[in-house]
Formats: sequence, C-alpha cells, structure tokens
Amino acid sequence: MEQLVLAFITGLTTGGLSCLAVQGGLLAGSLARQIEQDLLAAPAGPHKGQAVKAPRPNTALPIALFLLAKLVVYTLLGALLGLLGSVLTLDPIMRAALMILIGVFMVGNALRMFNVHPIFRHFVIEPPSFITRYIRRTARRETDFFTPLFLGALTVLIPCGVTQAMMATALATGSPAGGAALMFAFTLGASPVFFLVAYLATELGARLEKYFLRFVAVVVLILGLVTVESGLNLLGSPVSFANLTARLRPAVEAAPIAAPAATRITPAATPLIPPTATTGVPKALPTPAAIPPAVAVPPAGPANTMPVLELRVLGNGYSPRVLRAPANRAISLDLVTNKTYSCARDFVIPALKYHQLLPDTGRVTVAIPPQKPGAIVRFTCSMGMYTGQIIFE
Amino acid sequence: MTKKTFLVSDMYCVNCAMRIESLEDSLPGVKNVSASYKKGQMTVEYDATRLTESQIVAAVKALGYTALLL
Repeated sequence: MEQLVLAFITGLTTGGLSCLAVQGGLLAGSLARQIEQDLLAAPAGPHKGQAVKAPRPNTALPIALFLLAKLVVYTLLGALLGLLGSVLTLDPIMRAALMILIGVFMVGNALRMFNVHPIFRHFVIEPPSFITRYIRRTARRETDFFTPLFLGALTVLIPCGVTQAMMATALATGSPAGGAALMFAFTLGASPVFFLVAYLATELGARLEKYFLRFVAVVVLILGLVTVESGLNLLGSPVSFANLTARLRPAVEAAPIAAPAATRITPAATPLIPPTATTGVPKALPTPAAIPPAVAVPPAGPANTMPVLELRVLGNGYSPRVLRAPANRAISLDLVTNKTYSCARDFVIPALKYHQLLPDTGRVTVAIPPQKPGAIVRFTCSMGMYTGQIIFE
Repeated sequence: MTKKTFLVSDMYCVNCAMRIESLEDSLPGVKNVSASYKKGQMTVEYDATRLTESQIVAAVKALGYTALLL
C-alpha cells in the first residue's frame, strides 16, 4: 500500500511533469488544437474569438478520454511487467540487483536532464522514428472520440524517463496485480498535470518543460539514490547509508546484550518459551517453516544458555534497530508483529538467505548460528526500506 | 533528393527530436527528417531545388534549436 501511495505521489509530482516534457508538448498540444478547431467550427455566439478562449464543458471530454486510455494501457503494461517479473521469480538478491540497476538508471537519467555529459543520453530509451512519425500524423487527424482514445493508448510507446523507471519497479513487484496497481497509481497521479496542460489548450507544455526539467531532475536524482540505497540494504551491504549510520546511534537504539533464555529479554507480559528437550533450541513459532535449513541452529551447549533477542516489527520499521548479542553462540531472534501491515513484515536477513513473510500478528522465531566477535548480521524488509542490525560482541 | 546531416546539440529530451522531425510536415520541400536526441543530430532529405540549407537551419532555429551542417 505504501508503495502505491509513493507511486501516486511520484506520478503527481515528477511523473506528470516528466510526461509533460516527453508527451505533453506533442500530444496534448495536438489534442488542444483539435479541440480549438472544434470550438471554432461550432456556433459560439457573436464573438467567436472570445468563445474559444473561455473554458467549455466539451473540451474536458476528449482530454479525459485521452487520459483514460493512457491509464488503461499503462495499467495493462504494469500487469504484463509484473507477470514477467513473476516468471523470473526474483529472490531478494535478484530483486536487490534489479533495484540497484533501476536506481542507477534513474540517477543516469537525472544527470542527463542536468546535461552533465552527452554520455548520459544513453540512459533514455528513444522510440524509433517510424513510431514518432505515426503518432504525429495520427495526432493531426480530424477530432472524434476515437482519436483521443487512440492517442492516449499510443503514449505507451513514448514513456518518459520517470515512467520507464516506474516500469522497472513494476517488473520488480513480481506480480501482475502488483505491477498493474503500481502503474495505475503512478499514471493516475500523473494525470492532473497532463489534464491541466491539455485543458489550457496552449503551448504551455513546451514552455513548462524548460522550467520544470531541473526540478524533475532533482526529484529523479533523489528517487534514484533512494532506490540504490534500498537495493544495497536488501543485499545486506555495509556501505548503504542506513547501515553506515546505524552504529552512530547506538546510545538511542541499542538493545542490551542478550541474556540466557532463563532471563530472556522480552517484555514482562511475553510468555517464556522453554527450549525443547532434545535440541536445546527454543521452539520455533508459529510454524517450523519459519526456520529454513540454511539457518538451522547447531548444538549450542547447555539448554539454558541460548540467548533470545526480541525484535518488534512495526508499521514504520523495526525496534530496536540495533541489537547486541554475544559472539560464538547461537541465538534465537523473536520477530513480534502486532497488527503490522507494512512491508516490514516481509523480513529478510541477506547474509543467511532468510526470507519470510511474517503474520500480521504473532511471533516467529529465527535461529541464528554462532557469529564471530565484531560480526554484524543485517536485516531489512524486502523493499530495503526498513533496516536494522545485530552486532555480535 | 539531397540528404544532409546537421548537428543539433541543444536538444534536451526525446520530445525535442520529435518536435524537430515535425519539420517534414511543415517545411515545403522536405521529404524526410530523422532526428536523434542521443546522437544530437538530425538528417534531412529534401528537394534542393525548393529548399536551401540556410532555410532548414532557420526553420530549426524557429523551433528553438541550433542546427549546424556536418
């Protein structure tokens, strides 16, 4: 849901302006001219010229049809991209790599918009001349209801830079419904600016693109860096901004060193989970599937020495973000959700190749094998947005 | 028909190339215009008996860009 809101806001801010730069000048301008011609041809009272400038109810309809077609086509495109992503079955590592690629693409696009160097022009996908020629000639035809619908659908062939980045994100969702919803939210968000420009029926698009291009570039640059950061988090990279700064705030966020199971560090209300008689490992709740073979706990000595850490999975991330645990001993990490619906539920420990969608309310135990002193095990949500780490000492 | 390539270095997006290509609809004597934002170039195929290079450059300038014959 957060991703959809973000896509909508991206559409509303940068997407609308970016689409304006690529599609608005030609398509909206052509559409507006057709509308204007219609108004001139229609009986409009004694002062024909004045009537053209005044807002008319019938000008909104073709523009709305244009945007409706655009919305439908981009939603379908999102579904196709999501389907493609699902076929590729992206695991967190592949998703991280894709996110970094998307981020680099966005940063490259921003640098292109800043005109830093001609080499960055390669970060844009240029439609072949026959496609742009076809669109241009279609735009000049007589106006009817079909034409704006058709033109709106054709915009799928000339996506702007931000749209292309959003298409890549739709691919990364790995689900047709997710991809469709993402592109729907983005295109819907981009529609108001587009509508405004077409409705004004001027060459505002061509003028605006020069003024707004810098602004769009700044926003795309920030989005690109955020996407790269998310990809690095998802890889468990120590060089991400979140992981570099995490240790700078230990006084606020560090948990005390984990204690033996007999004095586990949990709120008083949390019931103690006794270790099993055979392995000395605390019970994995709620399902055994929560612990994949890759993180099976080796024998860890006396049963009552298994440290247990508790991590609260919240709507806005993890608490605490930095945990401390004893080195050279297996530990048990309890993930506690309580009406948690954010992407923080989709929990990933990259170094252990652990990935689990947690229940919205409940407790899942992850067994973490012994780590050397100074080792850091990083965890994140599957989007790389929320992060945290366990420091072994 | 004459075919010549011009450098248009001040295009700043794909739409600029599309706008320049629209000259083939508006400039008499032009048969085909192919502009590339990536290359920063445009290639014009035109009837030299009806149109001159300077007229092409002027038409591009009217659109807000600078064309230089390569």
